[in-house]
Amino acid sequence: MNESETRRIVKLAYAKLAKQQRSCCSSATGAAPCPGQECYSSQELAGIPAEAQAGLGCGNPVAIASLQEGETVVDLGPGLGMDAFLAATKVGPQGRVIGVDMTAEMVTGARRIAEDNGLNNVEFRLGQIEALPLEDNTADAVISNCVINLSTDKDRVFSEAYRVLKPGGRLCISDTVTDKPLPRELQEDLNAWASCIGGALPRHEYVAAMQRAGFCDIRVTSETVFMVQKDRLGQDIEILSISITATRPCSNRVE
Amino acid sequence: MKKELMEILACPMCKGNLELTVEKENGKEIISGWLYCAKCNERYPIVDAIPNLLPPDLRD
Repeated sequence: MNESETRRIVKLAYAKLAKQQRSCCSSATGAAPCPGQECYSSQELAGIPAEAQAGLGCGNPVAIASLQEGETVVDLGPGLGMDAFLAATKVGPQGRVIGVDMTAEMVTGARRIAEDNGLNNVEFRLGQIEALPLEDNTADAVISNCVINLSTDKDRVFSEAYRVLKPGGRLCISDTVTDKPLPRELQEDLNAWASCIGGALPRHEYVAAMQRAGFCDIRVTSETVFMVQKDRLGQDIEILSISITATRPCSNRVE
Repeated sequence: MKKELMEILACPMCKGNLELTVEKENGKEIISGWLYCAKCNERYPIVDAIPNLLPPDLRD
């Protein structure tokens, strides 16, 4: 897997979606319906600018984040900002939400929506989720919706999330995983990668990567099969949208 | 970019402090300028109020 070529294709796909005011991963190639739309209550949707609602992931990480007033939240790959804006309503004016996205078109769009709607406690910056431009121990919660699968270095994403979280901080993710390894040709298909399929890890590998970063108390709060692929032998491989929470332990990890 | 967010910003490479140079600002935001990491000797641009904190080799 060529890392920079994968990143280029993913960026291109999402720049295109930003222009269409969409950031639904699975529609990058029209491969699958986005499973995330029904994950938001009408009350939640009423609090999010309509322009940002184009951005649908594969779950609702804010719903599992137990956000409190005054907290600091980091959103990995916010797209047009749907979850960041929802998080902003939960943390209130004393809290803040920082979205880090590598696609300029998404960041520009999200910033404009924040400005147009007078949302002062949300900020977006261009950055890489594998190299977060944030100090250690600053976030109460890190959220991400259907983005980490797009990374070619998920270990680094999880260790960066761990680093920026305060001890006791929560990682709350919706993402795509599989029930068994994908065939190599699908893993190397960059369109499948940009559609949140090619980069999806088997569930146990995903959880193992979180454990390697130091996370504990890892819980799958929901999972839904949204697509079935065939392997070479014609057996089914389930592609799932999964919601998962984890905690950075309060005591230091054992090195 | 709002000035009060400076306190939690860090260099994406070394995670060290960034120094802010403002070129243009309005009442509430920095519109353009630079964030400088002395340790890496790297300048990260702020363009149209958005700080570009991508690692230098990933900037377009």
